[in-house]
Amino acid sequence: MTARTRLPAGLALATAVLLTGCAGTSPEEAASSSAASSPPSATSAGSGTPPAAVTSQAPAGTRLAVTVTGGRADGDTGRVPVGLGELVTLTVASDAVDELHLHGYDLTAELVPGQPAVLTFTADIAGVFEAELHAAGTVLLSLQVG
Amino acid sequence: MEDPALELVAHGVGSRTDLPLPLGLALYGAGAAILVSFVVLLLFWRTPKLGDAASGRPLPAGLQRAADSPAVRRGLQAVALAVAGLVVAAALLGPEETSRNLAPWVLYVTFWVGLVPASLLAGPVWRVVNPLRLLSRLLRPLSGAPRGAHRLPALGLWPGAVALLAFVWLELVPAGRTDPDVVAGWLVGYAVVQVGASLWFGEEWFAAGDGFEVYSTLLARLSVLGRRDDGRLVLRSPLTNATTTPSRPGLAAVVLVLLGSTAFDGLTRTVWWQSGPGSADDVGSGTLGLVAMVALVALLYLAGTRLSGRLSRLPLGPQPRLFAATVVPIALGYTVAHYFSLLVLDGQTTWILASNPFGTAGVDLFSTYGNVVDLRAVSADLIAYVQVGAVVAGHVVGVLLAHERALRLAPRAPASDQLPLVVVMVLFTVGGLGLLFGF
Repeated sequence: MTARTRLPAGLALATAVLLTGCAGTSPEEAASSSAASSPPSATSAGSGTPPAAVTSQAPAGTRLAVTVTGGRADGDTGRVPVGLGELVTLTVASDAVDELHLHGYDLTAELVPGQPAVLTFTADIAGVFEAELHAAGTVLLSLQVG
Repeated sequence: MEDPALELVAHGVGSRTDLPLPLGLALYGAGAAILVSFVVLLLFWRTPKLGDAASGRPLPAGLQRAADSPAVRRGLQAVALAVAGLVVAAALLGPEETSRNLAPWVLYVTFWVGLVPASLLAGPVWRVVNPLRLLSRLLRPLSGAPRGAHRLPALGLWPGAVALLAFVWLELVPAGRTDPDVVAGWLVGYAVVQVGASLWFGEEWFAAGDGFEVYSTLLARLSVLGRRDDGRLVLRSPLTNATTTPSRPGLAAVVLVLLGSTAFDGLTRTVWWQSGPGSADDVGSGTLGLVAMVALVALLYLAGTRLSGRLSRLPLGPQPRLFAATVVPIALGYTVAHYFSLLVLDGQTTWILASNPFGTAGVDLFSTYGNVVDLRAVSADLIAYVQVGAVVAGHVVGVLLAHERALRLAPRAPASDQLPLVVVMVLFTVGGLGLLFGF
């Protein structure tokens, strides 16, 4: 299964979750299939036109990017507000091997130098959540959903 | 799926923090608090109205016998001791990752935050089930008579204030606070110090020096359960119950540590703190911030109570502790506002991990180990309403209690004498809402 076919599947699932009102859905179900630490091709797939399944319920996605160089995070750092129910694509490029973890949504991705990791998910849990590097302990950003 | 090695947010444990309060809601709350303050001062009763220590409707004698029975207390303490032992063992022998280890979630969420609703509903529960009391009793034959017992009354509640400060520092400052090893070490260290002190000062030490017991007993003053001056357990209005809180030395310190530490927790969640003074996120900046917030609320409180006392020509020395019980509802409002969502959302983790305390493959005692925390169990709107409701309700009760206390201390003094303390309470409340709004 290629990244190109996996991503729309994730979108469709996320949209279905949105439409059914999310009650009692675990965070994983909503986003695991789209949370792929992926080769650059996933990025291009994400930037294409949204699939037909994504209609009025899901507004155009928010794209966030963070670059980690020598332990310093640049880009969309600090408190980053996004709307509830928005599709979020978080791209993290790191010059060191590490693991990215988005708390609350509990999404993880392996970081390898030269291969940006992409987390795509529907921001359907309200609150403030930190995205953090496990090994370094660096907080990249606080995602404020709602 | 791989488990995260760390589950640290800017405070304690937890996978999330609350959204900033909507500006409109924060302003409504602040406006309501100010309005109510002046209504209470100008329009409410002019002579003391609440009951005293002799008031209350007695509970059935059978219930009192059970509550006061040494056998029941020792039994509950034995259960609590077994649970505490299990938690320490799980901290040392269970999974190393905070997110999969039972101990940090039990200590910081279920116990520390859960003590609040438990004490508000069932009275001074920790005094009844405190496992350290049982340990102290078991070790008593080895240590002999408590030689320092005669010195205990002079200490008042100061040791409890110090113990609480030690705990909130652990909860809010050091980066390793959620490591299972750290939790185990702190719990064992706390037990050794407390039991040691009780062997020297006698078992009554716990009522004065065990921070958790002091906290639970103080919160229980806002429950409907009280003890009449003849020892009878009674039901009475929480306002009357709070008014009967003994003004022991150090009571003000306990209340100010609780208020200041919760304010510091709120501060650490603001963008201003995270990108400014607290950006280093180290022990130094955290300790300074905690001390600064406790000092700030203490200075405001001392100024308010002393100025009110000066206007009414009362002795200034005892003023802070005479009014300390009236600030408890404000501290409680802060606590509910900050930790309500932690208890109902991340608190679910405790019940998931309790199903397999040692992370043993194949063990799932309650069939909950595979569950995932439902972070949508309460909506963001409900959290915001609870936050504003708690802070404003705490303020209203605090101002009412301070009004009653002032009428008792200086029956003929004009209501305007109360103004300095009321202004300080308004500052606490507006400041608390401001922290929730995130400035």
